[in-house]
Amino acid sequence: MNLTHQDFLAFLGGARDTLIYCAVSFPLALFLGLILALMSGSHLLWLKTPARIFIEVMRSTPMLTQLFLLYYGVGAVLVSFNLAQYDNAWVAGITSLALNYAAYEAEIFRAGMLSVDYGQIEAALSLGFTKRQSFLRIVLPQAIPLMIPPFVNDFIYMLKDSSVVSIISGTELTAVLSAWVSHHGSNPFAGYALAIVLYLLLSLPTSYLARLLEQRLRANL
Amino acid sequence: MNKRGTKGLNSLFFIALTVVIFGFFYYLYSFKPLIILYLPFLLQGTVATIIISLVSIVLATLLGFGGALGRLSSYVPIRWLATLYVEVIRGTPVLVQLLIWYYGFGNLLSSLGFNPYTIAFQLMTVLQNNSLVPDSFNGFFYGVIGLSFNYGAYLTEVFRSGIESVPRGQSEAALSLGFTPWHTLRRIVLPQAIRLTIPPFTNYFITLIQDSALLSTFAITELEQQTYALAFPQVDANKKLFVFVYGALFYLIICYPLSLLARYLERRMARG
Repeated sequence: MNLTHQDFLAFLGGARDTLIYCAVSFPLALFLGLILALMSGSHLLWLKTPARIFIEVMRSTPMLTQLFLLYYGVGAVLVSFNLAQYDNAWVAGITSLALNYAAYEAEIFRAGMLSVDYGQIEAALSLGFTKRQSFLRIVLPQAIPLMIPPFVNDFIYMLKDSSVVSIISGTELTAVLSAWVSHHGSNPFAGYALAIVLYLLLSLPTSYLARLLEQRLRANL
Repeated sequence: MNKRGTKGLNSLFFIALTVVIFGFFYYLYSFKPLIILYLPFLLQGTVATIIISLVSIVLATLLGFGGALGRLSSYVPIRWLATLYVEVIRGTPVLVQLLIWYYGFGNLLSSLGFNPYTIAFQLMTVLQNNSLVPDSFNGFFYGVIGLSFNYGAYLTEVFRSGIESVPRGQSEAALSLGFTPWHTLRRIVLPQAIRLTIPPFTNYFITLIQDSALLSTFAITELEQQTYALAFPQVDANKKLFVFVYGALFYLIICYPLSLLARYLERRMARG
């Protein structure tokens, strides 16, 4: 066993940074995703087509490609406009995680809203509810329990996908692991095991929590 | 808004859309020398990406099928083993798994005397084609294994839910009619289960193609690595950005038709 106390703290710090990346990116992705979902559900082509194009492009290109494009490509353009302070792994990582996941969250929002039977909206409207009321009081309360499990799933995917940030010198768990392995190349398996355990500790309780939450929300219906 | 207003706005929209599309093509056209110069490199990278993805999805399907049978097995140790495999793989990033395969197991096995590159090189020497073995063959080998094991776990769940969706009564009926367990699986359960598994399978194939970009960290000359290698020496920021856009277009061309296919299959399956 060649893991010192210091190494252990470094790995924990990496896990904390992974959590920070996701805790910042995921709300952004949810917010953007809601906007995209509303846009792509609209009848106005001005709103619908840009949202669809954005969603399709994001879902058809790898996360790493988007990250490189933002960090190196857009980063170089930023530097040429004297905005070099925005060209770092935190900004590029969070932006690309948020934009990439916004496309997936938008699809979840859309599927959730479509899952509520249209007859219910008609019934609400005929009972004198306004459009906004029928959306907030009838559609959302039924759609949210359906959307929570896929959201939590995507959060877990994001915890794992944030490892890609290590490739552009972000400082999260995978980056700590790679740095540690480059120092202890002869016997790296202790570090690998620790990283795996930390990732499992991040993702398994989250999925357990999701299942619990889903059951409670369904019971409340 | 009244109906006529919407119509007017819509026709205006198509004009704007045409302008934007032409703008994008003009943007590409303004980098025409770069496009022509880099096309062969990126095509070569695309071929490598496609080969990696195809080999990986075949191996992942085999692993996933084995895993699904393991998870449905009546022997407790096998079931636990399959569950452990699925949970550990699905709980950790594919990048970490690839690093473990390439640096961890790769170095360990080569210190024990197992080197895929040497073996492939010697095999191809017998066939007088050893120049076909790329220098980074070890990266290809462990990369494909890492991707296969990762997607094998996801496909395990896909196949398991497919098999479980066939009512139990059907296999009981088949067994009581004198079918062997293997025959029941092959003739009764699988033909019905496959229909359900095809759409998620296609979706995982698309994400597999995208995740194969991670192999660029082992300096394998697939599409992402080629894009990066061509973009990095660019001094002009606009040219640098363009090369990344150009590389992303290739992924778009591969993946978008596949996702259209996946959605078409989903709709067909939903109709029954």
